[in-house]
Amino acid sequence: MATEPQEPVVTTRDPSHLSSGPGRVIVALYAVMALAATGRSSVQIAEYFGRAPFAYVMSAAAAVVYLIATVALVTGGRRAVRIALVSASVELVGVLVIGTLSYVVPSWFPDKTVWSHFGQGYGYVPLVLPILGLWWLRRFLPGRA
Amino acid sequence: MLAPLSTAIVALSVGTLFLAVYYAIRERLINDGVLAILGILEVALLVQVVYGMTHLGRLAEEKATFTAYLLTLPFLPPFTALLAIKEKSRWAMVTIAVGAGAVAVMTVRLGQIWTEHGH
Repeated sequence: MATEPQEPVVTTRDPSHLSSGPGRVIVALYAVMALAATGRSSVQIAEYFGRAPFAYVMSAAAAVVYLIATVALVTGGRRAVRIALVSASVELVGVLVIGTLSYVVPSWFPDKTVWSHFGQGYGYVPLVLPILGLWWLRRFLPGRA
Repeated sequence: MLAPLSTAIVALSVGTLFLAVYYAIRERLINDGVLAILGILEVALLVQVVYGMTHLGRLAEEKATFTAYLLTLPFLPPFTALLAIKEKSRWAMVTIAVGAGAVAVMTVRLGQIWTEHGH
């Protein structure tokens, strides 16, 4: 038991395997969110944009970010890792900022969006998914241990 | 007509969810049986699209949201099946579980809109 405390071993994995193993599940979750956000935001913008312009633009932005993440994960490769990392970070910041704003300035959000109330309307998946994504992507970064 | 169909879809997708979790625990891969169930689910979802779209007039409100759910749903079983077929680990069936869970949740929402605003 005298071994030195070890750093958690995070071996760098081949970035072409971005969507295998647990990555598959993350891709599926991203695809579902991309579909849901795209469907919802296109309907909101096409049918009643005037009701809550800020909220709907945020929904559309979320949809785009989810789409980018889904495509990057499916594609794989070193560049895709970076793109996925950026989109997961944007999601995390987005859900935290919009989530907080929706409680502090509720008048900006007369209608719900993907990210308002920290993704409550989507079972908090929008809050959990970027964290899950970043955790998964971490092991594909070179030179991290 | 939509309500019983939606209920059947929810039941089938929840059943698929449990089966998928069981398969994942036992480390079994996706097989023809699971694909057949997903196929039945897909047919039911497509019937729901046809019925929903032809009876849209019966919705007093939330027509757009209803349509969005309706049209998004049929994409889920084929997409998650495709992801699962190419994966040779227990995560294949976890992927199916995610898809089935999403179908269940979205169909429940669809049914809620129908009972609240339909007539």
